[in-house]
Amino acid sequence: MEPQQPEAGGRHRDGERGRTLGERVERVGDTAQQAWTRTREAVDDIKGTLDLQGRVDRHPYGTVAAALGIGYLLGGGLFSPLTGRILGLGLRMGLRLAAIPVLRDELFGFVEALGERQAGGQTGGRGGPARETEQAKSNKERQP
Amino acid sequence: MEMTEQLENTARQFEERVRPQIAEAKRRLSELNDQATDFIKANPGKCLLGALAAGYIIGKIASR
Repeated sequence: MEPQQPEAGGRHRDGERGRTLGERVERVGDTAQQAWTRTREAVDDIKGTLDLQGRVDRHPYGTVAAALGIGYLLGGGLFSPLTGRILGLGLRMGLRLAAIPVLRDELFGFVEALGERQAGGQTGGRGGPARETEQAKSNKERQP
Repeated sequence: MEMTEQLENTARQFEERVRPQIAEAKRRLSELNDQATDFIKANPGKCLLGALAAGYIIGKIASR
């Protein structure tokens, strides 16, 4: 701080005031700039964390669908009849899709087992009606 | 036999007539898909905000 000179009283005070005001303005400017820089850094951090551009580039339709879903939830559509219908339809389709491979495997296994039984032929064991008739025929042929 | 040949010919003609149309529809759909993808990639903010707004409106309508 410079010492005040009594001779130039008013002028010095004005100069002092002006300098103080300038300093204040400068300080406010610095603070605002720091706040702006911090805000930009925070926004950049959030952008980097969410990686919106990358997500959109990788899965454009998926990201839009996710935004649509978030909007739907925000609009209060979670506990609506439409959600119930959509969920019910999805559940039914999922169950059917999950059940088809299991049923197919079971059917293939059943058909294979039937084929093996018919091919295995006369070595005894249980058999279906076709096998019973074959056995009956062969028994009749054996009998004199 | 004649009937079968006639049916085969009809089916072949139908296939020949329909095949270019299917190819054209496939090409158009592919172009549309490319355009949509490019637009979403070029304007992610607009698309996401639009989808969010659309979802919000649908949710509001559904909750009534």
